[in-house]
Amino acid sequence: MASDAHAAPAIDRAGTSPLARMNPAVLGMAIFIGSEIMVFAAFFVAYFIARANTAQWPPQFSGVEPFEPLPKLITGINTAILVFSSFTLWWGEKRLAAGDRRGLIRGLILTLMLGSTFLIIQINEYVHLGFTPQDTIFGTVFYLLTGLHGLHVFVGLCVLWFALNRARKQNEFRHGAAGPLVAGSIYWHFVDVVWIFLYVVVYLI
Amino acid sequence: MATHVSGSGTPIAHGAGGGHAHHSDHRSLGHWWIRIAWSTVVGGALGLALPFLLRFVFQMDPLWNEQVTVACIALFSGLGFVAGSGCFDWWVRWLLGKPVDYDDHSFHGANSWRDYFRLNTDHKVIGAQYLGVIFFFLVVAGSLAELVRTELAQPGSQITNGEGYNTLFTGHAAIMIFLVLIPAFAGLANFALPIMIGAKDMAFPKFNALSVWMLPPAGFMMLAGVMLGGWSSGWTAYVPLATQGGTGTTLFEIGAQFAGFSSIFTAVNFLVTIFTMRAPGMTIWRMPLLVWANATTSALVVFGTPFVAVSQFMTMFDRIMGTHFFDWAFGGNVISYQHIFWFYSHPAVYIMLIPGFGIISEVISTFSRKPIFGYRAIAFSTVAIAVLGFGVWAHHMFVSGMAPWLRIPMMATTMLIAIPTGVKIFGWLGTLWRGRIHLDAPMLWALGFMSTFVVGGLSGVFVAILPVDIFVTDTYYIVAHIHYVFFGGSMFTIFAGVYYWLPKMTGRMFNTTLAKWHFWLTYIGFNATFLPMHWLGLVGMPRRVMDYDPRFANLNLFISAASILMVVGTVLFFVNIYQTIRSGPKAPWNPWRGRTMEWLVSSPPPLFNFDAVPQVVGGPYQYGHVGARHAIIYAPDEVGGGEYVETDRPNILVIARDAVTSKPVLDAIRQLDHNGHWRFTLVSPAEDGQDVAGIERRQRLAQSILERSGAVVATKVVTGEPVAAIAAAATDLHAHEILFATLGLGQSDWLRSDLVDRVRKATGVAVSHVTLSAAEAAESVHDAALSHVHVIAPNGVDSAIVDAIRDRVDASPARITLTVPAAVPAPEWGDEANTRRAEAITAVHAAVESLRNQGLSIKGEVWDGSLLDAAKAIAKADRPDEVLVAGQVTEEQLDAIDLVSRNATVRTLTGGAR
Repeated sequence: MASDAHAAPAIDRAGTSPLARMNPAVLGMAIFIGSEIMVFAAFFVAYFIARANTAQWPPQFSGVEPFEPLPKLITGINTAILVFSSFTLWWGEKRLAAGDRRGLIRGLILTLMLGSTFLIIQINEYVHLGFTPQDTIFGTVFYLLTGLHGLHVFVGLCVLWFALNRARKQNEFRHGAAGPLVAGSIYWHFVDVVWIFLYVVVYLI
Repeated sequence: MATHVSGSGTPIAHGAGGGHAHHSDHRSLGHWWIRIAWSTVVGGALGLALPFLLRFVFQMDPLWNEQVTVACIALFSGLGFVAGSGCFDWWVRWLLGKPVDYDDHSFHGANSWRDYFRLNTDHKVIGAQYLGVIFFFLVVAGSLAELVRTELAQPGSQITNGEGYNTLFTGHAAIMIFLVLIPAFAGLANFALPIMIGAKDMAFPKFNALSVWMLPPAGFMMLAGVMLGGWSSGWTAYVPLATQGGTGTTLFEIGAQFAGFSSIFTAVNFLVTIFTMRAPGMTIWRMPLLVWANATTSALVVFGTPFVAVSQFMTMFDRIMGTHFFDWAFGGNVISYQHIFWFYSHPAVYIMLIPGFGIISEVISTFSRKPIFGYRAIAFSTVAIAVLGFGVWAHHMFVSGMAPWLRIPMMATTMLIAIPTGVKIFGWLGTLWRGRIHLDAPMLWALGFMSTFVVGGLSGVFVAILPVDIFVTDTYYIVAHIHYVFFGGSMFTIFAGVYYWLPKMTGRMFNTTLAKWHFWLTYIGFNATFLPMHWLGLVGMPRRVMDYDPRFANLNLFISAASILMVVGTVLFFVNIYQTIRSGPKAPWNPWRGRTMEWLVSSPPPLFNFDAVPQVVGGPYQYGHVGARHAIIYAPDEVGGGEYVETDRPNILVIARDAVTSKPVLDAIRQLDHNGHWRFTLVSPAEDGQDVAGIERRQRLAQSILERSGAVVATKVVTGEPVAAIAAAATDLHAHEILFATLGLGQSDWLRSDLVDRVRKATGVAVSHVTLSAAEAAESVHDAALSHVHVIAPNGVDSAIVDAIRDRVDASPARITLTVPAAVPAPEWGDEANTRRAEAITAVHAAVESLRNQGLSIKGEVWDGSLLDAAKAIAKADRPDEVLVAGQVTEEQLDAIDLVSRNATVRTLTGGAR
């Protein structure tokens, strides 16, 4: 949807509500994030129902090896990396607002690198965890929740890479006329916020 | 704007489109569908290879997992279909950082039926595409329903076994819900909503196209699921039935994702459109109730649909990946499926109803000629239904073994939801009360809806009551209830909406009698089919079982027979739609005298809906209030601005003489007429001493052809010095534009004397220019809109016959084929034969030449055989509308010709009708 932002109709919006004056791409993304929240909510519902139905967590089943504790520290550091990437993106947009286009490009590249690092560390964690999605409900909800989030990080990275493409090759985005970029960035912040929630629920509690 | 005339030097600059440059995509339909075909196949091949390769790389055993492969093939071939349709082309260029045109409208609008069968970003075309898809799947799912009824016509096994029966009703329900009811409302609103709020299009036209192109893959996956079997879980896909399913279940689970994404994209699109693109003055309390309904529904879709998508993913992962979401043995929870599923699927009931409520509000108010009763109450109740709708899901699970404490609260919220629904019903009743009710087809459906939906709604309150629900769970009472809500509710509103907007969509009126037959057959058939099911359920017939106790046999046979009435009705519906599109009479702008903005623009609406931004000045339903107005539609600045109403048609002068009946000129005029509201004056400058009668005859011919396709056409012959004459005509006739038709450079005397440019300078009016080849200009009119008269002259052609033909054309315009059966004697290569043939040819040539000069569209033929041979051959090859026999002919011969001439009327040229 980001792409159509420039084709917004030239209707005189003077005197209309703030909502009506929003950039369509940003508004569209905000609504779509409502959908995304519900996707995660559905998985969390399954998670909480499963957790409420077992006496201990991770659950114990006869004939199934007990689960090793999740790597809270490394994932905590990883969480910090992802959160930091939100700030680098914010910094990039701030540079754009100040008229510094190279600052925006630097911010985007930095964000992409941090996001990729997060993804690589997460995949590395999968490889070393020692249990699979098929290992009881615990493995199922753990992998599906973190995997769904990983997919969103990947999509977010693609979105930011596209924005970088536009900014570098076509010299697009000006302060106040960067609908697709803003839409992409609020998506990225959303992915971060979900991760914080997910980390607390799945790893810490 | 789309007014590019082939070879035109200056594109005509209409106001339509408000300055958008419009260059249509010229790739052929074949190009697109070949591309879709190979893209789908490549996607499927990728889906086949990918799991194999991945399993090979990760050394999994076995390398083949059938269901994983099926899921991947479905997913990738579906994506391949969408990619092949061209939905992603623009974005791929954008994503890769290539230059793109942000005002690219090359896929906007339709000039011919072909444009409806390829990618299009015009919300009006997309609305029609939605309806095309849903009508197709309506036939599919309806056929499945008839198969179900065939099986149930008698106890025991009729046409299938238990497994097959389960697949039939599962496919019927899933396709009806995901491919018919939900997208039908998206389609109708897609067409009407942007015009209703005064917008040029939806907020994201390319996303809009993506939404509709995701539907066919979803539908075909489900159809394939029915055919391949292994899909017997019912549309609700409860576990563990669904986790034990096979290929069909996998296809459903992937197909549901496509349908789900399609609805989410549309919902986001609607919300952004409604929030940001309303015309000036369109405050939320002036929005038509359809807009309210779709805003609310879109919110439901945005927040609800992810749940069903996730529930289907979880089921699929459990089955093909070995996860344990719903597996008791390893900590999963079966009931959690039902919670997650119904958390969407109950609101989904409202997703399938609320837009229908919107349609009914429009129809009832328009056809009662009264302001809607309780506008704000209806608007608020819409929102209330949506909010409450998220709090009632567990009433589907009273007997599922869920937490017992949830039962009473869910029962209470469910009964509560009847209140806002009742508010709507009473709002509509209040609107009808003392209204001036017009029983046109949309109103019949609306009233039919009210009567059946009240039955469905009340039986819903019944089953909300816990003890009643426990008694009727999984009986035919539930089947009756769901059909009274979905068919008597949603489907009736869809038919109301289709009939309501069909004249606006197609620009043509439908056949009222057929539409009423459709309604009454369906209404009677519907009630005869589903009303007895209440009783069947109460006496204990279980649903979803192929066999039943013989004591239910009579009623079931009656139900199966009654359902055929609905089939007949639906056939009439499709016949009516087809006839409307093909040959319906031209619809006026506002056939129902509605007040909302779609009725204030032409039928079909201009390319970008409004030539200038409209101004909303009042509520949408102020029927009966003297002087009350909803909106003012402005004319574009080019015609001096001001208000625009149906009778104002700017005049386009068409300057052509001999070429006025040629195909390129007629096509150019038709296309202009299709895209805007113009009237045309055919102006032919006659040279000194030229036969004015012949020119006028030719003009009348063109006029008659164009009027058949609904254009408003006048004619005028001007004499004297052409530039001055045309300039004078342009002033007299208030010309808005001039369209010139000339031969190519070097052949045209007009171009040689620089007529086009001199007229441009002399008039100051925008001039566009069609050039034709000499062959095109000389070609006789071959247009289906013109009646075709065959003149057979067995005794040769003399001047009396020539005059008689001319008089015939003057009486009513027609194109003529003149045939002389020479009846050459055998051998046909002999000298005498050659002489006879040559004489006939000379005679025909002379006659044709003379009549052409007098402005007729005529061609000549000489036939070797006898009169009767000629008549036979003509009837077979040309199928003329009329056969005229010139010269001496006997009664017997005339009878014989009549016999072989199929549907043509046969008479003698000089009179004597037969």
